[in-house]
Amino acid sequence: MSTATASTLSHGTATSLPPARKPRPVAEFLSTYVFSKDHKVIGLQFLFSTLLWFLIGGLLALAVRWQIAWPWSDVPVLGKLFAQQGGQMAPEFYTMLFTMHATVMIFLVIIPILAGAFGNFLIPLMIGADDMAFPTLNMLSYWFMWPAFLLFGASFFVEGGAASGGWTSYPPLSTNVNSAPGSGWGQTLWLLGLTMVGVSSMLGSVNYMTTIILMRAPGMTMFRLPMTIWAMFITAVLQAFALPVLTAAGFMQLTDRMIGTGFFTPEGNVVNNSLASTGGGQPLLWQHLFWFYSHPAVYIMILPAMGMVSDILTTFARKPLFGYRPMVYSIAGIAGLGFIVWGHHMFMSGMNPALGITFMVSTMMIALPSAVKTFNWLGTVWGGRIQFTTSMLFALSFVSMFIIGGLSGIFMAATPVDIFIHDTYFIVAHFHYVLFAGTAMGVWAAIYFWFPKMFGRTMNEFWGKVHFFLTFIFLNGTFFTMHILGAVGFPRRLADAYHYETFHHLQPLNAFLTWCAIGMVASQIIFAANFFWSMFFGPIAGRNPWNSNTLEWSAPSPPGHGNFDFQPVVYRGPYEYSVPGVEKDHLMQTDPPNAVAAAAVAAAH
Amino acid sequence: MNASAISLPHGDDGHSHGHDDGHHDGHGHHGPVLQYQPGLPLTRGKLIMWLFLSTEIMFFAALLGSYVVLRFGAPVWPKPHHVHLSEPIGAFNTFVLICSSVTIVLALESARANKAGLAKLWMLLTLLLGTLFLGVKGYEYQAKFSHGIFPQAPRSRIYEKPDLYYGSAVRARLGEPAIMDKLKELDDTPADKLTAEQVSARARLQQIRKMVASPEQQAFDLAVVADQVMPLPTEGPGGSHAGGGGEGGGHGGHASGLNDIFPWLKLPAVIPGGNMWASTYFLLTGFHAIHVMVGLIVFAILLGYKLGPKDAGKIENAGLYWHFVDLVWIFLFPLLYLF
Amino acid sequence: MGSRLGGIFWSLIFLAVPVLGVATFAIAPSYNIWLPKNVSEHGSSIDGLFYFILALTGVVFIATEGLLFWFIWKYDAAKAKGPATYIHGSHTLEVVWTIIPAATLLFLAIYQMNTWADVKMRRPAMAPTVEVVARQFEWRLRYPGRDGMLGTRDDLFLTNDLHLPVDEDVLIQLKSMDVLHSFFLPNFRIKQDAVPGMKIPVWFKAKETGQFDIVCAELCGWGHYKMKGRVTIESRADFDRWLEETYARQEATQPAPEDTVAAAAD
Ligand code: HEA
Ligand code: HEA
Ligand code: CUA
Ligand SMILES: [Cu+2]
Repeated sequence: MSTATASTLSHGTATSLPPARKPRPVAEFLSTYVFSKDHKVIGLQFLFSTLLWFLIGGLLALAVRWQIAWPWSDVPVLGKLFAQQGGQMAPEFYTMLFTMHATVMIFLVIIPILAGAFGNFLIPLMIGADDMAFPTLNMLSYWFMWPAFLLFGASFFVEGGAASGGWTSYPPLSTNVNSAPGSGWGQTLWLLGLTMVGVSSMLGSVNYMTTIILMRAPGMTMFRLPMTIWAMFITAVLQAFALPVLTAAGFMQLTDRMIGTGFFTPEGNVVNNSLASTGGGQPLLWQHLFWFYSHPAVYIMILPAMGMVSDILTTFARKPLFGYRPMVYSIAGIAGLGFIVWGHHMFMSGMNPALGITFMVSTMMIALPSAVKTFNWLGTVWGGRIQFTTSMLFALSFVSMFIIGGLSGIFMAATPVDIFIHDTYFIVAHFHYVLFAGTAMGVWAAIYFWFPKMFGRTMNEFWGKVHFFLTFIFLNGTFFTMHILGAVGFPRRLADAYHYETFHHLQPLNAFLTWCAIGMVASQIIFAANFFWSMFFGPIAGRNPWNSNTLEWSAPSPPGHGNFDFQPVVYRGPYEYSVPGVEKDHLMQTDPPNAVAAAAVAAAH
Repeated sequence: MNASAISLPHGDDGHSHGHDDGHHDGHGHHGPVLQYQPGLPLTRGKLIMWLFLSTEIMFFAALLGSYVVLRFGAPVWPKPHHVHLSEPIGAFNTFVLICSSVTIVLALESARANKAGLAKLWMLLTLLLGTLFLGVKGYEYQAKFSHGIFPQAPRSRIYEKPDLYYGSAVRARLGEPAIMDKLKELDDTPADKLTAEQVSARARLQQIRKMVASPEQQAFDLAVVADQVMPLPTEGPGGSHAGGGGEGGGHGGHASGLNDIFPWLKLPAVIPGGNMWASTYFLLTGFHAIHVMVGLIVFAILLGYKLGPKDAGKIENAGLYWHFVDLVWIFLFPLLYLF
Repeated sequence: MGSRLGGIFWSLIFLAVPVLGVATFAIAPSYNIWLPKNVSEHGSSIDGLFYFILALTGVVFIATEGLLFWFIWKYDAAKAKGPATYIHGSHTLEVVWTIIPAATLLFLAIYQMNTWADVKMRRPAMAPTVEVVARQFEWRLRYPGRDGMLGTRDDLFLTNDLHLPVDEDVLIQLKSMDVLHSFFLPNFRIKQDAVPGMKIPVWFKAKETGQFDIVCAELCGWGHYKMKGRVTIESRADFDRWLEETYARQEATQPAPEDTVAAAAD
């Protein structure tokens, strides 16, 4: 793979190395690496924090898997850390495990790694800005994650344990302190942590939008933006409009718990033989508010990955993106429709079934823009010249896996079928396909792809491919089989389902799943080793190791403070690969106008 | 999308403002100061303010939406007078807030016209008006608290219906040593030391004490007790209550209630739907009040500036925010006080 | 590394996705890892819909994953000659692949509505056969007794042991005392959350006699996993006899349990 080595540089001659390390006073160290206002440093801070939480979330998932495969058997290693009863898991502890697994993965990994790490690192670089519009705000958006880290982290150690109401935190289970052991401080800390994540995302999203609207390089019109930026932009819009609703709902649940308002507690609610001191509220109201945010949130958790994958696919297929405008419109379509489908999580909730029909129809419709995206990715790969880099493999697998996750969504969107599969492992299969097999694979693609820009060095390709291979195999082993578990009706969130006649024969299959999950987490050791080794010892990358077109590749690797050592000016869209008649197979956005290219572009339209 | 068709944008043609307000110091740039493609004709500060306000709109939309859902889902909802809401006071506060929106605009105008002193004055006035609003709000809150209306279940003295729980709460209150002393004192006071109203109220009080203590008490008795403690004014046909209500007594049906005549009594009262009403009322007005406070802090900080034309941008942003806070109240006032 | 071998290897990995995917679904039923036996009348239309969507998405799945494999195989840079095709898209194709899925999905949306209405909207006009009150962590049942009315003296109280007649419409009134639960009968393709403060009707018609699981499908606390009940479907005669016997036993042992009455009261 020749692409891994340094190649022609578009600007300047010398490869810029990381700034030489000379001894510095503490204050300067702090302002450069800790309280930095530089979007790149903030992006990396997000990246490291989220990767660390990814590991924690993965270990929590393993503990979950352990219990499902071998209920009530001693948990190795982890059991000594957490479980109280001599290594064997208590049922309430199981509920905390999956609640915190999901919370960590969603709020501390996927959302911040996409918007926080890659959004921060890439937005100014890809649009030709020297930084975010408001660097201080940007720094704050990272530092607001810390209270969240601490609150979620601390919740494991408080009396009664962490939140145990599921990541959806449905009341009255989550509001009534009598209803669950973990409904004490754990749930309160959970709500406070969520609020902090909310503040962080809000600060980030308004900043991103401002930056993208006002700070594009000359010539960078909206329709010359790379898909990554479009996706980040629309994600920011989604965050700005959906998240405040969750924040409001979170406050309401908080007051329900802390001072005894009754927004989500029905009248005369008796839990654990004691009458609730409040009432008059509606449990379903929380579900509406929660999903009004959390449905758009699932797109917040995938659109940036879709954008990045689009850029990576074009680079390694050496081909223009198929259908740029349809791709942009479909992102916008997903975002717009995303606001009116939240009820598909509530088909069985007791919501008016007639309302369910409207949500069913809108949910069916949201598959359309996704279909457009899928077909355009296929169109992009078609007729390309595919280079099998690790990054490309992950990007291709994103497409392959997203199709699976999306298609299973159709089963659930069909309301009668959802009657049977709601709250079964079919759902668990669906969202791990879109979230892990989709987004996380997209994130890996992006890490391998932009690593050279982040650290000036490339990651090891061989071990990268081994990492890809093992992850891909184990992930399908773990999650594909969940579909057929779901077809039996195997319920989610059950610490032990084998005492049911219907499910007692499923233990061996679950054991198989767990082995795959263990393999999947173990494979990440390769990734971690590769990551840290390459940071310091990987081959030096030039400005543009992949011969890619977008602006960040014309900046030094890693870019210095202020990003660009020249004034970037944009002359074309981001996907001019293999332009006929041009001797290079790629034309960067900053390459000066080229008559041959102009003619070819004109002919192609 | 003809790639070569665009002309090279000149960096010096004026429409790309590189470093305006809100931007960081710019030290330590390795590269050149960058030029940007013209986006919207807005400064960064103003754009981000608008975007921030749109998130705020969603926040309050969620709260208001919840209010509507809870209110129309509730079997009963108290009338403003049942919960001691006074339209005139609310209307006065609305007026105060609107005035403050005007003064902040005047501050901006003066700053633009380079009349820093005048701008300071208007700013100060805005600050004062905002404080007045909060003061009035605090007074209103106090009136709720003194009637036992809290957003908080265990401390609230509001009951949904005159049931057994209510009866035992009244009994418990009457059995508190401090209250027993007070009651004894009242019983021992000769009739000529009391007003005619107090004398009759004392008789009624003695009656309900007997009723709640009686073992054969009926559900109906408790309804009587509730009515004596805090009678709910009945609305005329058509539900008009334009006559205005009273904070703290003197109007409507409250004045004759035992709790009003003997303010120390503080007996639990019955207001159907009162608890959920209190929850939503304090939630909505509370979050609004927090936003007002933030605005006041911003104004206080701005007063430390010179407030000349250079600071106009800051005043404008603060003003935008303040208008938003004002707008939220314009929605809250009718929803809470009038309907 | 850039050899053709790598390309072949990776293409085959991607080919494995549809092949093994379809194989998993094909083999699973023979290990009994498949839809549990359906014994309700409406269940067959839900299953039919499941199979229909399975076929539909199966075709889309094989087609898209197949194409992906084919493109990866064919357009390997190490194999394909010349530069990549320079193309920015195709209006015709965009229209085609928007319209076809749109039509399919719209059809699906309309096609399934009837089943949904049958299960959740067209409530049979009858008095409740039984009231099910969920609480942490059991199913409390109340039968109306001889007078056919709930809330009277001759009500019959039970926990976790639901009996219903076969071949008849049954109407269940579902309530919850404390937190959310979900009344899940896998073999009947029935699932409905029980919400405190709401009375939700659930109805179906059993086609076969036998004993089946009642599962709680909504997280309701630490004991959620063990909130298990059984439903027995029997002939009308057996059902009536069972009702009589159980009622007699209840009268003999104790008066109606106090707390259940309070709990079930509206
Ligand atoms: C990134 C995250 C993500 C994404 C992208 C999606 C995408 C979709 N989701 Fe998913 N979903 C979740 C994350 C996500 N979901 C999570 C986390 C939950 C569970 C939450 C919880 O309960 O804990 C959930 C739950 C969930 C439910 C609730 C199930 C239940 O609880 O009973 C439903 C129901 O309709 C649903 C539907 C869909 C649909 C229709 C899409 C569509 O957008 C998918 C569209 C894509 C395609 C369809 C594939 C590509 C298209 C083609 C190849 C074209 C041809 C196709 C056809 C003609 C069919 N999802
Ligand atoms: C983004 C979201 C996300 C991700 C990535 C995952 C990942 C995984 N999940 Fe999770 N899961 C959820 C979101 C997610 N999950 C949600 C929302 C729920 C629902 C909860 C609820 O019901 O409330 C859930 C529930 C859930 C259940 C159901 C529990 C139940 O209902 O009883 C199970 C069971 O198997 C499970 C398993 C797994 C496994 C095995 C993984 C594996 O894929 C994990 C693999 C982990 C890794 C591979 C870690 C890798 C580590 C690194 C890469 C770090 C490297 C370090 C450095 C470089 C420093 N998950
Ligand atoms: Cu009851 Cu779960
Ligand atoms: Cu959704």
